[in-house]
Amino acid sequence: MDPLLRVDNLQTEFRLPEKTVRAVNGVTFEVGRGEIVGIVGESGSGKSVTARSIVGLEEPGEIVGGTVTFDGTELTEADRTTKRRIRGSGISMLFQDPGASLNPVLTVGEQILEAATLTHDGPAKSLPAAFGFQSFRRRPLWSDARNEAIGLLERVGIADAERRIDDYPHEFSGGMRQRVMLAVALAANPTLLLADEPTTALDTTTQAQLLDLLADLSEIEEMSIVLISHDLGVVSEICDRVVVLYGGEVMESGPTERVLNNPRHPYTHGLLRCRIDANHSGTKLPTIDGTVPDRFDSRGCPFASRCSYATTECNTTEPPVTTVESTHHVKCSELDSVPDLDAHPTGSNEDQGFDSGTKSLVNDDSVTDPVVRFENVSKEYETNQSVLESVLSGREQLTAVNDVSFVVRPGETLGIVGESGSGKSTIAELMTGLSGLTSGTIRLNGQPVGIAEDRSHDQLNDVGMVFQDARSSCNPRLRVRELVAEPLIEAGWAQSEQWDRVREVLEWVELGPEHADRRPHQLSGGQLQRVALARAMALEPELVVLDEPVSGLDVSIQATVCNLLLELQEQSGQSFVIISHDLKVVSHLADRILVTYLGEIVERGAAESLRDSPAHPYTAALFDAVPTIDGTSGFEPLEGAVPSPIDRPDGCSFHTRCPMVESKCQTESPDWQQVKGTQSRCHFAESVAGEASPDVDGLGNDVDE
Amino acid sequence: MNLGNYLLYRLSTALTVLFGASALSFGLVFLTPGDPAETILDQREDTHPTPEAVEAFREAEGLNDPIPIQYVDWVVGISNGDLGESYYSSQSVTTLLVEHAPTTIELALASMVVALCIAVPAGIVSAVHRGDRIDIGSQLAALIGVSMPNFWLGYLLIIVFSLYLGLFPVSGSGSLSQLVLPAVTLGSGMAAIITRLVRTAMLDELESEYVTAARAKGLRERLVLYKHVLRNALIPVITIVGLQFGFVLNGALVVEVVFQRPGLGMLLVDSIFARNYPVVQGIVLLTAVIFVVTNLLVDLSYYRLDPRIRLGGTNS
Repeated sequence: MDPLLRVDNLQTEFRLPEKTVRAVNGVTFEVGRGEIVGIVGESGSGKSVTARSIVGLEEPGEIVGGTVTFDGTELTEADRTTKRRIRGSGISMLFQDPGASLNPVLTVGEQILEAATLTHDGPAKSLPAAFGFQSFRRRPLWSDARNEAIGLLERVGIADAERRIDDYPHEFSGGMRQRVMLAVALAANPTLLLADEPTTALDTTTQAQLLDLLADLSEIEEMSIVLISHDLGVVSEICDRVVVLYGGEVMESGPTERVLNNPRHPYTHGLLRCRIDANHSGTKLPTIDGTVPDRFDSRGCPFASRCSYATTECNTTEPPVTTVESTHHVKCSELDSVPDLDAHPTGSNEDQGFDSGTKSLVNDDSVTDPVVRFENVSKEYETNQSVLESVLSGREQLTAVNDVSFVVRPGETLGIVGESGSGKSTIAELMTGLSGLTSGTIRLNGQPVGIAEDRSHDQLNDVGMVFQDARSSCNPRLRVRELVAEPLIEAGWAQSEQWDRVREVLEWVELGPEHADRRPHQLSGGQLQRVALARAMALEPELVVLDEPVSGLDVSIQATVCNLLLELQEQSGQSFVIISHDLKVVSHLADRILVTYLGEIVERGAAESLRDSPAHPYTAALFDAVPTIDGTSGFEPLEGAVPSPIDRPDGCSFHTRCPMVESKCQTESPDWQQVKGTQSRCHFAESVAGEASPDVDGLGNDVDE
Repeated sequence: MNLGNYLLYRLSTALTVLFGASALSFGLVFLTPGDPAETILDQREDTHPTPEAVEAFREAEGLNDPIPIQYVDWVVGISNGDLGESYYSSQSVTTLLVEHAPTTIELALASMVVALCIAVPAGIVSAVHRGDRIDIGSQLAALIGVSMPNFWLGYLLIIVFSLYLGLFPVSGSGSLSQLVLPAVTLGSGMAAIITRLVRTAMLDELESEYVTAARAKGLRERLVLYKHVLRNALIPVITIVGLQFGFVLNGALVVEVVFQRPGLGMLLVDSIFARNYPVVQGIVLLTAVIFVVTNLLVDLSYYRLDPRIRLGGTNS
């Protein structure tokens, strides 16, 4: 049988005023019916442009060669109407940022309906009807469509769909919005779904749920899926075949198992090796040097400039495509000199790693003065209510952080992990003084501190902060040197000393002085994150708070930033607080970890103990949700989302989603249980951790009044 | 904030604004040189008034009281629905406003219609054909429209369409044909500003990911433009249109003089020359009220158009 989609030697160019960039350069692959194909590569490797070229949305780019055959129809030569109809019925798309790809001023129902009714009414729909003005004659049809939209929302796992269909996109959480987008995509009953980084903007737990949903759809509906991602882990969870893209060319393609276990191309090696879960925590991650270059001509191998096996020939002649095994193809001319990859190179790179002794735990005894101490800290927000409502039904409180106590010790890296809505970012805001607490005490070097305005100069200089989105936290009008100098100016440094310092700090984060005069838009995401880090470190604060420092970065860049963080922390001896939804990232970087859920700490302990034997079902679920390439994808994704902090569940706050919930959990709030090296707030902590081991040394203990 | 609280809050700020505007205009009027009593008696009797007559007039109209007292009297009057009487005709100011306002409102609305009918299509076409000849043409027209003074355009239109072609009457009000030229005069300047605004807003929205998503659904380009893009692009446009409505009243002042339309603008100009203080203050107060009300309407329509907006700016 013919494949559903055949992309053959596709070439797409962008004509810029000064040069022509070839984004897709001879991509060839097939997608069979009901098959899931993963396209993997770093940003700039041409994945998205390939997907958009398939459906004719490559503008402002231009397809200059090759063919795209979908279900027997050749699409690159097709007229606009044909392309549009294919988009409306045959091929649907799912985009990376569900917040941006839904129209903010239309209800989600309307956006599903318009995709659904397209197929019902055919192309000859009148304009008023398209705008939602329905004549009475057509009412029954309209309510059918509405019911169908409700059905779609239910199918993608949105609870209470009948009521939520009239909500606007901003009333949904990120994960829910991506489900809505999926409902929109499914409305047209597509045979092929192009999913462009659909989970990159989501929590690991939500990502796991969505991947699960996609796999189900493919299986039940026989829908074909093209899943685009920078992360081989994501792709390996559900894909039948993998296509590795670089510089707009297919570097390697084959069945997922083969490519992951027996990769032949140096680029695939690189992508696999730099994954955090393939490495020991605290060790230096292998990286792929350099970044994806823009291609202006098609001579030679695009990866040659970053490849350690490259010869001069690689730069000048197009590498041949070798068929390693029936369906496993590799495009490389030095195949013989590329060694087999040890699929799980754990330990193999310790020679280049850091001394693992530096990650040993600071014992409680040696904690004399913690840098930061949270004592029973709570943070509540008032919800938006009218005067009348609050008189009638009492004031509504939203508890973002609920009675939290912990310390940050000198020179340690503390990880705080949890899903969105778990209160971890609020803890960062409280620590840095960006928002004020409702009750409790925060001590910085023993002194109680309030919000940033009330802190002394020295106290402000002691805390640095790196925000999640480097691009929006750097003023686009300032140059790098001005950005990094900002805290220096605030601290009253003399102008002459500022520049020397800026150069020094940029050196710490491995940026050269040539970067100092650039502006944010001239830097890549990874470079900009370094600038943000340099700014936070400029005054050598005792404490650096990093909110999601590597999420949103490509896997390869994640690896370099992680290495940098480990190195900086080791050299400077500062305390780092690293906040992330990704437990793998946190456990790689941190000495100790706090797991937060609904504003409470549910488990805490040494990173190693937590990883080896998590004693709280939530921690275990967070670990499970991280996509891995070692074939252990029999995960049960955590159901649902974090409940509303206005209406907190009684008893254990996690009981509504806990896989091992019992009646006791619904009424009794669990107390701290010491299990092995961690402390967990779960009634069944010991059985979660595997076996009971009551009195181990007090690793990871801290304030526990 | 919910709608009820918000309206309450806006009403209280509106009162403050009106109070400030009236106090300011009241003060300014008394700073202008010239004595209303002499000017008015001069015009009324056609001879130079005697000092006794002037004194009697000042006493009768309360002009001898200290200015703050006069202001308080005026405010007390307003709270009883009395805006005072015209010095000149002894008509109540309220009556005068009611007589003159319709002409101005008619002009304001007509010029708004003219502006929108030109600007929205021109802006859309400009954005869709960005960089093309049609875009450059419309941008150039907008630049000319913005730079041309009202009164000059008005006289130009009169010369061409009334005197030379004889299509429309030179002046007056009451009929549709008398409305065309003033409305075009006043509307074209606004059209220029709004065209550029619609263009920029459309271009911003066209860059959005949801536009690609809408196209990926297989929607026709027409639908993508008018349903998805335009609706979002009009949100900022509405603010400016609302604010412009206030400025239409300013423009009406000049245009009404040019076209001899007996509206509020003409009344204001006449009253200022005649030192007819109660009428001037009445018009200023009315203008302030219109400003405040249109602003409130703009904010409410924002709330209606953009579901993300929370009233009072408290986002969560």
